Amino acid sequence: MELLQPSSVDDLDGGLFLHGGTEVVPLVRDGILSGERLVDVRGLVPRGVHDGTIGAGTTLAELEVEPAIPDALREACRLAASPQLRNMGSLGGNLLQSTRCWYWRLKYPCRLHGGDRCFAREGEHREHAIFANDFCASAHPSDVAAALLALNARVHTTQRELALFELYRVPDEGDRDVVRLQPGELILELEVPTPDASVYLKAMDRKKWSFPQVGVAAARFGGETRIALAGVAPIPWLLDSPAALDAATPLPRTEWKTPLARALVQRALAALQ
Amino acid sequence: MSDLRLSVNGHEYEIRGARVGISLAQLLREELGLTGTKIACNEGHCGACTVQIDGVPTLSCITLAHTVRGDITTIEGLRDHPLVDAFVRADAVQCGFCTPGQVVSAAALVAANPSPTTDEIRHHMAGNICRCGTYPRIEEAILHWQD
Amino acid sequence: MARLIRTEKEVEGRFEEVWLVVEEDALDQWPEGPREVVGRDALRKDARERILGQARYTADVQLPGMLHAAILRSPLAHARVERIDLSAAAAMPGVHAVLGPGDVRGLEQEAGFNGAPIAAVAADTFAHAQRAARAIEIEWEELEVVLDPEEAVRRELLTTEPATYQRGELERGLAEADVVVEGTYRTSVVLHNSMETHQAVCQWIGDMLEVYISTQYVWGVRSAVADAFGLPGDKVRVICEYMGGGFGSKNDPGEYTLVAAELSRRTGRPVRCALTRREENTAAGNRNATIQKLIVGAKSDGTICALGGEFINAVGWSGWSAGTDGPMQMLYACDNVRTVRYGAKINTPPMKAFRAPGFVEGTFGLECLIDELAAKLGVDPLELRRKNYASSNDDKPFSSKNLMACYDLAQEQWDRRHEVRARSTGTWKHGVGMASQIWYGGGGPPSYAWIRIGSDGRAQVVTAMQDIGTGTRTAMAQIAAEELGFPLDRVEVSLGDSSRGPYATLSAGSSTVPSVGPAVRAAAADAKRQLIEIAAQRYHLEERVIGIENGSVVSADGNLNTPVEKLVEVLEDAQILGKGARGPNPTGMSVLTFGIHVVEVAVDVETGEVRVDRVYAAHDVGRIINTMGARSQVEGGIIQGIGHTLSEQRLHDPDTGRILTTTLDAYRMPTAADVPEIVCAFVDKPDEHLTNLGSKGLGEPPIVPIAAAIGNAIRDATGADVHELPISREEMLRALEAATKKERRGAPAAV
Repeated sequence: MELLQPSSVDDLDGGLFLHGGTEVVPLVRDGILSGERLVDVRGLVPRGVHDGTIGAGTTLAELEVEPAIPDALREACRLAASPQLRNMGSLGGNLLQSTRCWYWRLKYPCRLHGGDRCFAREGEHREHAIFANDFCASAHPSDVAAALLALNARVHTTQRELALFELYRVPDEGDRDVVRLQPGELILELEVPTPDASVYLKAMDRKKWSFPQVGVAAARFGGETRIALAGVAPIPWLLDSPAALDAATPLPRTEWKTPLARALVQRALAALQ
Repeated sequence: MSDLRLSVNGHEYEIRGARVGISLAQLLREELGLTGTKIACNEGHCGACTVQIDGVPTLSCITLAHTVRGDITTIEGLRDHPLVDAFVRADAVQCGFCTPGQVVSAAALVAANPSPTTDEIRHHMAGNICRCGTYPRIEEAILHWQD
Repeated sequence: MARLIRTEKEVEGRFEEVWLVVEEDALDQWPEGPREVVGRDALRKDARERILGQARYTADVQLPGMLHAAILRSPLAHARVERIDLSAAAAMPGVHAVLGPGDVRGLEQEAGFNGAPIAAVAADTFAHAQRAARAIEIEWEELEVVLDPEEAVRRELLTTEPATYQRGELERGLAEADVVVEGTYRTSVVLHNSMETHQAVCQWIGDMLEVYISTQYVWGVRSAVADAFGLPGDKVRVICEYMGGGFGSKNDPGEYTLVAAELSRRTGRPVRCALTRREENTAAGNRNATIQKLIVGAKSDGTICALGGEFINAVGWSGWSAGTDGPMQMLYACDNVRTVRYGAKINTPPMKAFRAPGFVEGTFGLECLIDELAAKLGVDPLELRRKNYASSNDDKPFSSKNLMACYDLAQEQWDRRHEVRARSTGTWKHGVGMASQIWYGGGGPPSYAWIRIGSDGRAQVVTAMQDIGTGTRTAMAQIAAEELGFPLDRVEVSLGDSSRGPYATLSAGSSTVPSVGPAVRAAAADAKRQLIEIAAQRYHLEERVIGIENGSVVSADGNLNTPVEKLVEVLEDAQILGKGARGPNPTGMSVLTFGIHVVEVAVDVETGEVRVDRVYAAHDVGRIINTMGARSQVEGGIIQGIGHTLSEQRLHDPDTGRILTTTLDAYRMPTAADVPEIVCAFVDKPDEHLTNLGSKGLGEPPIVPIAAAIGNAIRDATGADVHELPISREEMLRALEAATKKERRGAPAAV
């Protein structure tokens, strides 16, 4: 293993980006990511909040107590993970985290790994998706991504600027990637608009330190309300309206997530009034 | 392999030829003989390996030793902390395997917030799993650490 | 005086008849109530070293030249090794030795479950060993995989003969009943997940084998390892002074100890074999899943006249079939009971005893069933328990039973349920539920202790017992201090080394205090006798007027009052040695523990979130030795029980049988935020028939009734019947929906 610690973005030349390491280190150990060359980008990625822009290197712990960010984002950070993981994990890293799907994590040759089956669809899928789950039934675990999606955040990378919803894509036969980043492209900052009101509600299996069974982020900008869900699709899921839940396509053992999502969406909207 | 300098409990260590990729937990335990920090899951899920880096609770089992910047505090560096007595008085230990990590997290909490509420305690200690279920005793220890 | 007797020994609900040498237990019990040291709060003797990280666990043992072993485990749930080639692995960097199936007990040719140990490698580092293990070439013959326990029962794939029990006639009882309630209850596979994984470090020193192991049974490991290697027992030294949790999973050496010993023998180096957390979640044992088809019949006045059950224990590839049927047989005075219990042999990792095996699962089914009966009868659930109180266990009297006193202690909590329900607001419904607890806990012989007092007037208890975190070290010190008349800080305990100290029983089945405690007291009495003999000689008094109180030798007339150190300073290097043994259990009696939990919950009926707000636990376990340690045990058992009630579940792939929940983010144990308010009460009445202490064990009772009490509280709050553990969000929402449908059809309200 080679560990590089570049001091300038210009020095970047391939390798696997490492910041807090809470995902990368275990995934390299498991052989899911190739750890031949790790690039410590902590010196390159901005950290801190100013004027509606958040450095991607800001930790969730820092954001959890940050007054100058929308409630939904602060709450999503507060409810995410464990205190230690919040101390270590960066905003940028959190957006890029992989599914907790046990088949994926145990390296089954599933579709996300380039194979031709979704083992969850055929097997044990009780923690999996209720949307966009035809090809891959994995659920996206990021609370923060759902919050930022509802907030209509924009992502600034070393190469371009894009809306957060453009960062994610549902995997398909031709392309198994859930994230649309070019090789070597590094997320630097998030631009987060200030809503009139925002909220994040999370259903989890124990009171803390648990991935979202269903997470609902909602943000109101004037007359427009945006709703985004965690834990219900392979990517953070934008909901056009509560009625869009009627179009959910749960699997036999994820049916329970739909009424749960409905209840939380209703509560989230009520909280925005 | 590469040489490494780490500050641990106020002492500067020079570690020659440490394998790049070694976790901080493994290095502390095997190279420096500081076995107070325990490894229970080795993938960042249970908190037993918690150390402080510049006072911030961090999972040493998924921290690459070569990426550490800052002063490391392990349980060995908290020997004289009043929390230790508080844990004894509150009977906040059973098998004890998670306990060093609990103390490290608790010490960070009370450093920032000397009189935490029970909600704050639960929020800040939720990442330290105890299979024996000493949580109520730990909570009592933290509530009364200054007594 | 020693004699050879034949007696019944019980551990975790399993009974065997054994021949034992026992010393006659001639001491009278102490009168009821707190003593000088016993029956009071005592700070844990080993708390400081554990807290500071100074305690040396097996995980911390680092011997010079130590190698690391990795085990290759079967990825398949049922397969036979057709061909295995170890040569590539043996040639890999850092590798010192490789073992294949049959090279040591525990590495098998046939894998009956995902995770079955097949081969092992010893290398310079664990990473080297793992890499080499992956290079072992195996050709598998895949065999039929059976995962469904009901299918296994149908096909008679069983680990043991079905166990049947009958008293009276079930059909007659059901015919007499005015009300009958039936239900199927299911519990899931739950994993011990002690914080220190299963592991051992083995080293041969000459012809002696030294075994450091995280274990609950130092002597048992000694016997098993000696047997496996054809050694006399005294050539094996087993050391475990501190261990990071067991809960029943560490009662035997497992394959990892034998692997480490064999690799050490072949390489001439110490070898550590430690399970990773993923191996721990896969193949280190579990509380097996159960399916319970239960029926109860009662008269309209609440007399239970029929109880029946078919119990399937999904034991796994091997293991034993735990007493899931026990509570139904023992808890209530019902004339007509019939149970049949199957141990299904399926291709899943074998069960291992887990804190009250069988009774946790069986109490969930039974106590929820009884509550459903109460609802149908329109009778108060606690009243129903009182009404059907069993005064004997079949025809056997109880050595002591104070369950009624537990009910009395809990009555005030129970009476508050209307207040609790009134707190319901919005979508949050509050309710109260209860469940009774019955379990073993009498311990038994043999166990022995020595006490050594030197010229400094300090006592050391020596016995090869364990303190697995329950505080048994402290309890033994208290017992010795009490009997000797010493202050607690003048008594130390040396444990955890089979070459240092006599036999002590395993720390499982709530056995340690009731088994080793009486031996310690007897040893202390022996030592005290000798101290008094010396005092009689030195001070020219009759022995009968001399006593020892708070570390001083005193005479009845008050003229003598001198510190023990002064008495014994003349000894110099001479020592007083006391010895004691655990006597037999009372014959013809059932030695059991009892209790009740009253639980307050709140349920969000829209989202299915369950919050356990408060648990009141009253337990009857005979005399309590350490009131502080006892409370910790109750809290710990309840919290662990909340885990299996709400969020813990081991899942496997239904197609292949591969374990899926191998990491602690997927297998979710309670955190500090999942803890209710817990209030403990103890009847604390010595069992007058049981040993010189009258104490039973407390390790298991607190985990037994909590799931049922929570299930019953949920019913009280919402009208929803949960029939499955864990009560996941999915299960809670299902039950709520079913309740809503039932309500629309007009079902009885809660009482």
